[in-house]
Amino acid sequence: MASSDPRVAIARRDLASLSREKTIVLALLIQLFVAAFSSFLVVGLTSLYDPGATASGEVDIGITGEANESLRRAIEETEGADAVVYRGNATAFQGFQNGAVDAVMIATRQPDSRISVQTTAPEGSIRTTLIVVQLREVLQTFERQQRDIRSAFLNNPPVSLPEEVSASPYFGFTYTILLPLLLFLPPFISGSVAVDAITEEIERGTLDLLRVAPVDLVDIVDGKAAAMAALAPVQALLWIVLLSFNGINVSNVPLLLVTVGAMASIVVVVGVTLGLVMGERRSAQLLYSIGVLGLFASAVFLPEHPATTVAKLAVDSATTTTYVLVVVYVAVAVGLYGLARRYTRGLDVESL
Amino acid sequence: MNPRKLLRIARWEVTKNAGGVDRRTIVVGALALLTVGIAAPYAATSGVAVDSGIYRVGISEESPYYPVVESDPTFAIREPNADIGEEIDLRIQGLAIQTAPTPKAAAAQTELRSSVRAYNNRQMRQESNQSAAFPVVVSLGYVERTQVREVISTSDRQEPTPDDAGTGDGGDGSDGSDDSGGGDGTGGDTGTADGSGNDGTASGGGGENIGDVAGGAGGVGGIAGQLAGGNTSGTPADISPPFPFQSLVLAFLFVLPLNFIIQAYGSTMLSERLNRRGELLLVAPVSRFDIIGGKTLPYLTAAVGIAAVIAAALEFPAVAPVSVAISVLAVVPIALLFLAATFLGAMFARSFKELTFVTVTVTVSLTTYAFVPAIFTDVGAVALISPLTIVVRNLQGQAIGIGEFAFSLLPPLLTAGVLFGLGAGIYREEDMFTQRSIPLKALDALAARVHGKWSVAAVTAILLPFVFVTELVGVATLFAIPNALSIPTILVVVVVVEELAKSLHVYAGYAHDRFEVGLLPALVVGAFSGLGFFVGEKLTLLAQLVGLPTSVVEGQAALATGTGVPSVPLLIGLLLAPLLLHVVTAAISAVGASRNKRAYAVALVVAMAIHFAYNYTVVTISGLV
Repeated sequence: MASSDPRVAIARRDLASLSREKTIVLALLIQLFVAAFSSFLVVGLTSLYDPGATASGEVDIGITGEANESLRRAIEETEGADAVVYRGNATAFQGFQNGAVDAVMIATRQPDSRISVQTTAPEGSIRTTLIVVQLREVLQTFERQQRDIRSAFLNNPPVSLPEEVSASPYFGFTYTILLPLLLFLPPFISGSVAVDAITEEIERGTLDLLRVAPVDLVDIVDGKAAAMAALAPVQALLWIVLLSFNGINVSNVPLLLVTVGAMASIVVVVGVTLGLVMGERRSAQLLYSIGVLGLFASAVFLPEHPATTVAKLAVDSATTTTYVLVVVYVAVAVGLYGLARRYTRGLDVESL
Repeated sequence: MNPRKLLRIARWEVTKNAGGVDRRTIVVGALALLTVGIAAPYAATSGVAVDSGIYRVGISEESPYYPVVESDPTFAIREPNADIGEEIDLRIQGLAIQTAPTPKAAAAQTELRSSVRAYNNRQMRQESNQSAAFPVVVSLGYVERTQVREVISTSDRQEPTPDDAGTGDGGDGSDGSDDSGGGDGTGGDTGTADGSGNDGTASGGGGENIGDVAGGAGGVGGIAGQLAGGNTSGTPADISPPFPFQSLVLAFLFVLPLNFIIQAYGSTMLSERLNRRGELLLVAPVSRFDIIGGKTLPYLTAAVGIAAVIAAALEFPAVAPVSVAISVLAVVPIALLFLAATFLGAMFARSFKELTFVTVTVTVSLTTYAFVPAIFTDVGAVALISPLTIVVRNLQGQAIGIGEFAFSLLPPLLTAGVLFGLGAGIYREEDMFTQRSIPLKALDALAARVHGKWSVAAVTAILLPFVFVTELVGVATLFAIPNALSIPTILVVVVVVEELAKSLHVYAGYAHDRFEVGLLPALVVGAFSGLGFFVGEKLTLLAQLVGLPTSVVEGQAALATGTGVPSVPLLIGLLLAPLLLHVVTAAISAVGASRNKRAYAVALVVAMAIHFAYNYTVVTISGLV
């Protein structure tokens, strides 16, 4: 039987205590909440930014002024914007005030042949962002049309704009923010719990009891670390399955799990070591959270941030650098584990 | 509470912390923070993008798109004759773009579109003939529409209802529109006069105007402001939507340190419970409030100190003490709320692991509470639910009224008080050092405050801020969905929260045999709970008087029970009806609570049904649905 190995027994005992306390449910709920929260944020904001994503995308623009004809062409070319031509500024603003149009543009020709567009948008409304984004779209189209007319005066004509295609506005977010967030949160929590698993035994004085059992300290630490490190890839797999239910394809799943496993091992080893060195939860936990933040921040010095590595793997754009980094993470995890094991072996339990 | 004893315990907490082993903690922690400090500017300046290289483009150097693709790190350049769909997502030959039939390729093309725009604008800046390169000059101004009240909903049909009262910032924009109408033709003098005291919106001059408007509404300084600073006029690309992104990032700086502080605070509190360590303090001649206060004070001081340093650093070099004080004052309730929730969590947690999960939950949910409403800072008064909105507005240089201050700060402050009170209820031997189950502890925490019918009324009233915050959070999460759906949903939330608040401690009292058994005593206790709720709720009327948002429909629905919708004439009836409602529903659940758990559950559901029917009627009569 596998349970004859003391490490397996200890890992099993730790996992059982987690499920008995039902806190693992709480942990999953938190992650679900974080995911929902960040998606809500981005889906909400993107639908504000991307007029096509919402039903209320149509923006009516009142236009007036001597150059209104050419402005009207630009508005007609822009999706989700409608032009209403007014004879004078006063009537245009009347239309704006009574809600007939969402914005007013006054186009006047300037002496230097430029066209000045005075734009007025409503203030302090949740639609303001949407309207302003649409106005920018219109004005950029207008600018491009006017540039094309004046292209004879330009040394390098502008590069032509590729056609507009309908694409999910959340595509980039899903792979570069949401997925790394979901995959890195479990390792972070695992490491934090690993700190607790060690310091709790020390602070409660129950480590001595475990010592009476026929296991040595290395086995105890091994078992506790393994339980926590194994938990992270399982949760990661859960998220990937959940995402694919929602129609988000994730490539390179095995490699992603290996990456998450390596990350989890690294932070768990850091956590366990901090627990053993500090012997007290307060300082160990504080150092752990600051330290992991530091690690994550200093990862910008790598040729590719771990978040980018995960994103590239998931979106199937991995390069050699990506694969090399995954190998490096695994190597670092194994190396750190070896060091931590050596440190633990040299520890005297009585001194804890 | 004895201040001297409290301070002594606070001193113990600090000296125990700074001596011995913990000096090492400070050194290592400082080193780690230094790493972050070094890495952050690097990440900011070198522009480390998480999305670098996610789209693969097959392109040769002859294509006009080559410099575009090359300059955007989102794209990885591959051989043009690579396998499309497998090795590359887009193939560009000359001007022709071939896309793989995948969502990824579509996203890549959209990204390419915006890169081309950015590239063109960069190229045009090199042109000698600038009037041909940038033929359109734009000035953007914001004007308040006084005749159009925008109901917060996703439907685009707004009923043009007259806005009887000014919105929270008291702006009157009707003059502004006249100005804009009259001041045309000169090129760029929109002169938007909004009365909110926002800086820069009234300044003239085309280019500056864009920068100022975008900056004033969009954050401190604003990226657009910097861009427009170089030109005399703004181009269409300079327009940025009014999203207070920078301010939010800055506000986040205030919340982040709190997460570290509660880590340490939770550990301290929980370690008191290990091996009966806290017993020595418990038997000492100090009250439990001295102990809790003394152990909390150093962490609160640290939180306030850090907030003050951050606030001062943000305004450096022109540090204005008043403005710093306002930011700090707004952060204090958030800090207290973090500490109170962690304290309660540490009292309930059965192990370190559990405390970790509790801490993460507290962090995530309170950050959300503080953060999400602040995103809508520029949009509506509903944003004031979060004290961070005060910080953001303060950073933008807006004036903040006393009423807004009170509306924003009082609910979290009172909630923190309730959480501390509940935690203090189980700061005793029986609960701290034993493995009592969590539901029993929750009942202990509530029962500790219940002694007779008057205390029942008091506890119900005290629980009101909690009710208030829960309902407001409900409003905050629901205010994006259409009115037709959100009002029934919010009513359900209100009913469940209010009925629980009226009856849970009554049940706890019965579980601890605090009340006489029998139908009549149960009715009396329930009636007192209802009375307490009614009185407390009348106090929330003050919240409306001090400037509750006028245009938030859901806000009215949340407070509809008895706050008196002005369109209904029967004023006395309106005052008595909610009293009757609360007394009846609380009495029903109290009778259930006096029997057993199952009877309590059934009675609670009945009470909720009655309450819902009442609220729904009120809301329907007052014409909100």
